[in-house]
Amino acid sequence: MKNTTVSSVTTTMNPYLAGFLLGLTLLGSFLFLGAGLGASGGLARMAAQIEGALAPSHTLASEYFGNWGHTPLRYYLSYMLLGTFCGGLLSALRSNRIQPQLERGRSASAGLRAGLALCGGVLVGFSSRLAQGCTSGQALTGGAMLLTGSLLFMVTVFLGGYGAAYFVRRQWDD
Amino acid sequence: MIETFFGQGALSTASAHLAALVIGVFFGFALEQAGFGSSRRLAGIFYFRDMAVLKVMFSALVTAMIGLGYLLGLGWIHPDQLYFMPTVYGAQIFGGLLFGVGFVMSGWCPGTAAVGVASGKIDALIFLGGALIGSVLFNELFPIVKSYYTWGESGVLFVYDAMGLSRAAFAFWLTLVAVGCFWGSEYIERKKSGAGLYWNSPFLRTFSTALVLAAVGLFVVPAAPTGTAASFSGAGEHASSMSQTANASQESKLLATVDAAEDHVEPEALADLMLAGEPGLLVVDVRSPEEYAQFHLRGAVHIPLPELAPRLAPNKNVGTIVLYSNGMTHPAQARDSLARLGFRNVFILTDGLGGFAERCLKPVSLRMRATTPEQSAKIASWRTYFLPAASGSLSPPAHADTAAPFPLPERGLPGLATTEWLASQLGKPGLKILDVRTQPEYNTRHIPGSLFVSLESFRGIVKGVPSMLLPSRMLALHLSQMGMTPSDLVVIVTADKPHDATLAGMVFERLGHDRYAILNGGFNQWLTENRPVDSVLPAVRESVYMPPVSADSFTVDAAAVLEAVQQGGTVILDVRPEDFYLGKKSDEARAGHIPGAINRPFSDDVAKTDTIVRFKPVQELQAAYAKLIPSKDSRVIIHCRTGHQASQTFFVLKRLLGYRNVLWYDAGWTEWAARPELPIVAAGAKAQ
Repeated sequence: MKNTTVSSVTTTMNPYLAGFLLGLTLLGSFLFLGAGLGASGGLARMAAQIEGALAPSHTLASEYFGNWGHTPLRYYLSYMLLGTFCGGLLSALRSNRIQPQLERGRSASAGLRAGLALCGGVLVGFSSRLAQGCTSGQALTGGAMLLTGSLLFMVTVFLGGYGAAYFVRRQWDD
Repeated sequence: MIETFFGQGALSTASAHLAALVIGVFFGFALEQAGFGSSRRLAGIFYFRDMAVLKVMFSALVTAMIGLGYLLGLGWIHPDQLYFMPTVYGAQIFGGLLFGVGFVMSGWCPGTAAVGVASGKIDALIFLGGALIGSVLFNELFPIVKSYYTWGESGVLFVYDAMGLSRAAFAFWLTLVAVGCFWGSEYIERKKSGAGLYWNSPFLRTFSTALVLAAVGLFVVPAAPTGTAASFSGAGEHASSMSQTANASQESKLLATVDAAEDHVEPEALADLMLAGEPGLLVVDVRSPEEYAQFHLRGAVHIPLPELAPRLAPNKNVGTIVLYSNGMTHPAQARDSLARLGFRNVFILTDGLGGFAERCLKPVSLRMRATTPEQSAKIASWRTYFLPAASGSLSPPAHADTAAPFPLPERGLPGLATTEWLASQLGKPGLKILDVRTQPEYNTRHIPGSLFVSLESFRGIVKGVPSMLLPSRMLALHLSQMGMTPSDLVVIVTADKPHDATLAGMVFERLGHDRYAILNGGFNQWLTENRPVDSVLPAVRESVYMPPVSADSFTVDAAAVLEAVQQGGTVILDVRPEDFYLGKKSDEARAGHIPGAINRPFSDDVAKTDTIVRFKPVQELQAAYAKLIPSKDSRVIIHCRTGHQASQTFFVLKRLLGYRNVLWYDAGWTEWAARPELPIVAAGAKAQ
């Protein structure tokens, strides 16, 4: 037994089954909403709300967030993100997997892990706006629709990931 | 056929939000069950330690892809009910690379991090904080990155089209790749970490077989009656018809169609078809997205010209496609291009949107030629259908309830709005409040969100006559700078001078903008009722307000008035205070009034209590004017000194009392008195 991670791997759902469920959820989203899943959209709305609270006139006048008006959170993807959190919470409660922790390799420092998580977050936040979506909205949704740009996005995500993997590997050292 | 929220233009309704919330719950549940609440697991794929990401993502993608293939193929859902993201090569390739680096650094992506936070992961919370910063950063850098954001914008592209495959063929190959990846992942895991639990397991064998069989099934899905399935094998068809473009007989056929104008549809015919909800009719707006957002024919979809062929592929030779723009050149060229691609069901709107507005939407009262009662009824029904919503984005017919979020004030538009009604509408999109009080008054406090405008900015010297309402193109420019659009519902607010509000109303009358109302009782009543006020300047984004094609039909000049004086049969109403009418007082070259004019001071139409000035009750006004004007169809010319006070009587007669033939002599006594050749009844003389 290396650590809790290994034991949790064995208790998670069969990944193919989980993927199948995820696929059905996406289909449901197509059928009811007419649009696929999305997570970064809701996040960006939240960012716009926060920036709007700190600097209202500046945000409203800005070219990107300004388009979303006074109530950027009033958007279906904001609600979907909230739902995603709730669904995750339900599932984690049900499988007894809630455990406050900074997940990292045992010999990696908390500072390194937190720093990388933050920098990665900034990159992801920025690039998902640039690409108009993230792994959910572009790669998965657009991929299932067989859209050229979305599939290219998915391929380049993995290219970027594998390209940088070596340089950030220390955070997972045990 | 399933109608989605997107298809109905209802993604921003409360029920769509609820649906999104529920779908999100399933999404989060599936992610967490997959073990994606752990960054270590997510990052595992980049070190070939744990291939869960690949397995889950590919299973989900293939499941949804196959499912969607059946839904589309069996015609359960039409492609226009789905939002297809455009391909932006540069942004998506560069964005993807950056995203990948961020993904491997943090071990999270936005959706999984939401689940990670739910299961107590602190690094997920840090990641989300970073992602918020990244989003704000993008917004702040947007002016710089804007060109990359649209770099390689290519519209909606399907990868199978690019590869020259049918949808089914591509789906089949992708399924095989996915299954190969599943087995490969299990193998890698077995070699690397002794995991690979499903290698050669009965489960994986069954799952793989089921996916491949389902994908094979896509080949035999019957072509849906809507032609949906056919559209998705579009690439090959395009290629073959492209090769025929040189075919001379096809070209001559095309030219013959053009010659016979068989490719046109008249505005009235289109209006009737759209109103009747003609099945299979697809109306396409090919103007810029901004113009579309501002106004479009209700039910029309927006497709930029470069995307027409791929986006219309599902409707090729199925139903009827009508293209429109402001004019006819672009749609005509597009139609010809589509015809070469084998489309036989594309029409263009005669005279474009301009013609549609002129022929179908122009109010009867503004038409030069008399209309029959049937025509008037038609025009009225078209106007209600095509000009319903307060916001520019009109909903499709199925959602009439969301299309009209504004209960109309009192007696319809244009008309009077009550303070109570306005208070209930504050903050609604498409509502524009126009404050015409003085600037200091406005700056001190105003109705939240209202825009200030100086009445004098709407007036100027026109052909040498001072204080004239400016031509419509200048008024439209002013409204553009104020961020107004033709579909806005405008409420005009004054302190205690209703004739200020009606003068602003003349701006909208001249522009043919019927959706305006005047706040009865004005700001003073608003204030005494303790309704909300603030002193914030609203943010305004400049719009493009297109002026109407023709001049208004209610403004008359001195020549027309003189003709009316000489020929009789027209009621000339001088609405200045009595002393001016009688010539006891004068600010102009001559004192007196136009021969035959009768006096009804504008101030007689309003009543003042304390500081509040309101229009008198309609019944009272009705009775007063019935004594002055023979019938509702009588020709009436209203004037004062500069056109200002006359605007109030114009509003009362035309908009409150329903007089149908009301004209406005804007230049008024200022011009009449200054031109000695025009006859007057001079001071001291007895009124005729």
